[in-house]
Amino acid sequence: MTKFYWILAVVAVVGIATVGYSVGSGTMGKAATEPVEVAGLDNMETLVSMAQGITKGDPDAPITIAEFSDYQCPGCGAFVLSVKPQIELNYIQSGKAKFVYYDYPLISIHPHSFLAARAGRCADDQGKFWEFQNVIYRNQSMWVTKTSVEGDFVDYAVEAGAEKGAFEACLKSDAHADVVSANLRLAEELGIEGTPTVMISMGRGMARRLMSFDFASIQSAIETLIAESTPPAADSAAAGS
Amino acid sequence: MSAPLAPPMNRMVIAVLSLVGLFVALYLLANKLGLTGPMICGIGECATVQASKWSMIGPVPVSALGVAGYVALLAVSLHGLQPAGLRSRAVSGLLVAFSSVALAFSVWLTYLEAFVIRAWCQWCVISAILVTIIFVAALREVRRLRTGSEA
Repeated sequence: MTKFYWILAVVAVVGIATVGYSVGSGTMGKAATEPVEVAGLDNMETLVSMAQGITKGDPDAPITIAEFSDYQCPGCGAFVLSVKPQIELNYIQSGKAKFVYYDYPLISIHPHSFLAARAGRCADDQGKFWEFQNVIYRNQSMWVTKTSVEGDFVDYAVEAGAEKGAFEACLKSDAHADVVSANLRLAEELGIEGTPTVMISMGRGMARRLMSFDFASIQSAIETLIAESTPPAADSAAAGS
Repeated sequence: MSAPLAPPMNRMVIAVLSLVGLFVALYLLANKLGLTGPMICGIGECATVQASKWSMIGPVPVSALGVAGYVALLAVSLHGLQPAGLRSRAVSGLLVAFSSVALAFSVWLTYLEAFVIRAWCQWCVISAILVTIIFVAALREVRRLRTGSEA
């Protein structure tokens, strides 16, 4: 019987230590708000595989519209709230194009942008990335000037339909800091200087960086890309004769 | 005067496993309340399961029900190991009753993971295994009292 109580005591001690440590580290642990060192990013192949974007639309769509964005940048907010819906309506929903979002937090001028990028990824864990993005950009003017924004992000995630506990646990940790850091490095390697930066490519062709991000420019670039990839009818007929 | 009874092994097994289960449920509950970092989840997609609507019953996290269930099983099994409770059929009856409810609940949760949420949480699976062993031990305990064996 004494042996039994010893076993019970050992289980109790291990259990209290494990759960206590998890709670302690979770409560005291700080959310990662800055880029982290990720091994292997000097290798372009590793960098590309680590710097995962978040895709909307048919992954096999011929045209890719990529956006490099910073949550604290007003232009990015305007793009997401007014231009992206038009892209969705005209190209994503029809399956002509897919939209890929990349984080490019400009941490030197935007102190909350890295945390916001991680928050987006935490929302993505629950399949609520695009909903969260809309809410955080809609409320951009409310949180960008604050000193602490974790609570705001949790509220936005809940508004977007995410489950509070899991989101909060993710935000309070260093989860996704590696992917966001890799996104940032990819943007730097591509020589991107500002946000939002929109790039358009077709198939495996070279991506074209647009100088402006209004819908007309994007539409024109896409139509040009389609026209260039379609062989002229006269040439085709001549080749067939 | 009867000889002192050996402590029933089945009740000891139930007590130890209930304590293990209690800590598993406490960990899940702490995570659900946002008190921990991301779940340690070597196998499966714990975050998906924990974030699903099935992780709550009304305002109550499912893991809180797990904590309550394991506390009940632990309390009854420990009482059944005290000299006054060693021969108690009520203790065995309660253990079977509690573990039956826990098993039915675990089967339902496992079904949800497999066919509705389509994601597995290793801690939920561990809890389901613990509950199954506890239920078998509770049944063996009832049979022990019926046959009068010391095992």
